[in-house]
Amino acid sequence: MSTIADPQTQITDPAPARRGSRFWTKFRANRAALLGGVLVTFFVAVALLAPVLPLVDPTATDWLAVRKPPSPAHPFGTDEIGRDVLSRMGWGAQASLLAGVVSVAIAVLLGVPLGMLAGYLRGWTDAIISRMTEALLAAPFLILAIALAAFLGPSLSNAMIAIGLSAMPIFIRLARAQTLSVMTEDYVESARAIGLRDGALIWRYILPNIIPPILVQSTLTIATAIIAEASLSFLGLGQQPPAPSWGSMLNIAKNFLEQAPWMALYPGIAIFLVVLGFNLLGDGLRDALDPRDH
Amino acid sequence: MTDPVLSVTDLSIRMQGAPTDLVDGLSFDLMPGETLCVVGESGCGKSLTALALMGLLPTPPLRLTGGSARFAGRDLFAMSAPERRQIRGGDMAMIFQEPMTSLNPALRIGEQIAESVRRHSGASRDAARQRALEMLERVRIPAPHKRLDEYPHQLSGGMRQRAMIAMALANDPSVLIADEPTTALDVTIQAQILDLMRALQQQSRTALILITHDLGVVAEMADKVLVMYAGRAVEAGPAASIFRDPQHPYTIGLMSSMPSLGTRTDRLVTIPGVVPPPNALPDGCRFAARCPFADAACAAKPAFDMLGDGHGVACWHAPIEQTRSPAPAMGAIA
Repeated sequence: MSTIADPQTQITDPAPARRGSRFWTKFRANRAALLGGVLVTFFVAVALLAPVLPLVDPTATDWLAVRKPPSPAHPFGTDEIGRDVLSRMGWGAQASLLAGVVSVAIAVLLGVPLGMLAGYLRGWTDAIISRMTEALLAAPFLILAIALAAFLGPSLSNAMIAIGLSAMPIFIRLARAQTLSVMTEDYVESARAIGLRDGALIWRYILPNIIPPILVQSTLTIATAIIAEASLSFLGLGQQPPAPSWGSMLNIAKNFLEQAPWMALYPGIAIFLVVLGFNLLGDGLRDALDPRDH
Repeated sequence: MTDPVLSVTDLSIRMQGAPTDLVDGLSFDLMPGETLCVVGESGCGKSLTALALMGLLPTPPLRLTGGSARFAGRDLFAMSAPERRQIRGGDMAMIFQEPMTSLNPALRIGEQIAESVRRHSGASRDAARQRALEMLERVRIPAPHKRLDEYPHQLSGGMRQRAMIAMALANDPSVLIADEPTTALDVTIQAQILDLMRALQQQSRTALILITHDLGVVAEMADKVLVMYAGRAVEAGPAASIFRDPQHPYTIGLMSSMPSLGTRTDRLVTIPGVVPPPNALPDGCRFAARCPFADAACAAKPAFDMLGDGHGVACWHAPIEQTRSPAPAMGAIA
């Protein structure tokens, strides 16, 4: 019979690694993810710093410099009424990133609670939420966003709402599936065994454990949302002139493709790079957060 | 004679749409500070019984079809859901089989223990944290101050099971149900955990229901033993009496299929056949198909007869006179 001081019961310290450091080690080893991180950081910095960067007024017209090709005075050229393309791109980054982040925030804040509710309560709640989700998913993402934006009226904030609502079903399904899988975990059962109420169980046991996949999906969806905002602006349903956004810049540039290709080239490259950045970042996060390799 | 802290009568559990009960008329009493070992092979209803007592039975597909469980003078099965939740983790606690997966990976160890304390005693955050630290010390986790702020993945299996025990005992339960608490651990850690549980139990007078299929654990821990087979109690009694003089052919089979230290002389004795599937349970003795003593009488359900000093058995042929070598008719796989 052992006593409390029995040396046999002493366990050696396994010197465990921190969860955070393991994540960073894996993330840093992934070149593509790092590139994604750098791209995203760059565009976020540009968007945030647009007011303090030495950019000319993005809405100031110059009738002496209409559709001028890139030059030292206008490194990215000028558009059809003589506005500086570089400056409009800097400010347009705000609209594009804001549209990406805000619309995904709307999708996550509405979709995740609905999905968790469906997965946790099952039964009728699940049936109603799931059928509605399927109905929304039946319409292609962009078509749905265009229809909603047209219904709400053309403006950047309405475009964000439209994109957010269109992206919501993905998050409902993801949160529901993740909740169902977490619910079968032993720690949920042991949480019940200490008598926790539903609220505490959902908030402290289920939510924290479904966040990684939702984070990954969010990053990837931001890329989609940026394209959607560009598409809506291209169609005149997003950012309204004269305020710049990459999509609306492309919309106007399409009329001058032959005379002034730089008007389309730079916003196009920016959209490509930021979407690439978010996709690489999302893939990198997914790999680094994958619990199977831990 | 003191009153039992938990008294289960005729507990029956059925799967939706099944013709027979998965747990059929189980009864036992648990005295304060006593250790009851529930033994039986996988799928015999041990864990279902534990879940039912905790009020954690997944309903549907399972449901209670009868019986009562009197705990502190009240029937657990007649209580409302909030009343059950109040008892769960407070007066009655449970430890699960898999320490590797039974802790929330997203919460620090200290927070998880404190959560249970705050839920049941309404203690302040600081007091609950203090209690969590005290519990980690009691379960002999090295460097408890440090462990308090660590996540489960930073702990080894044995330490996680200690943390689970700390969590379960944090509110001084009068009954602790441990469902195969050492099965997932390696042998040296198993012995440490069993030692620990016994030491803590002696300090706190907690009654322990220990579910296991390891007779070595039973011999080590049990005051009383309940042997289950295919959902029914086939034999129950004081541990000494069961080990010295097992009466049910199934218990005899279990005992003789235990490997022992020393020179190996022969193949391990096994019980021929398998447990009948839940959808094909016979009406009579459920062990009859595998029993060397079975005859026509076994087609009827045997009553649970007491043989004296608390030792009871459900077999038409009991008491069975045994020679020195147990289970003469049990076949070894040749």
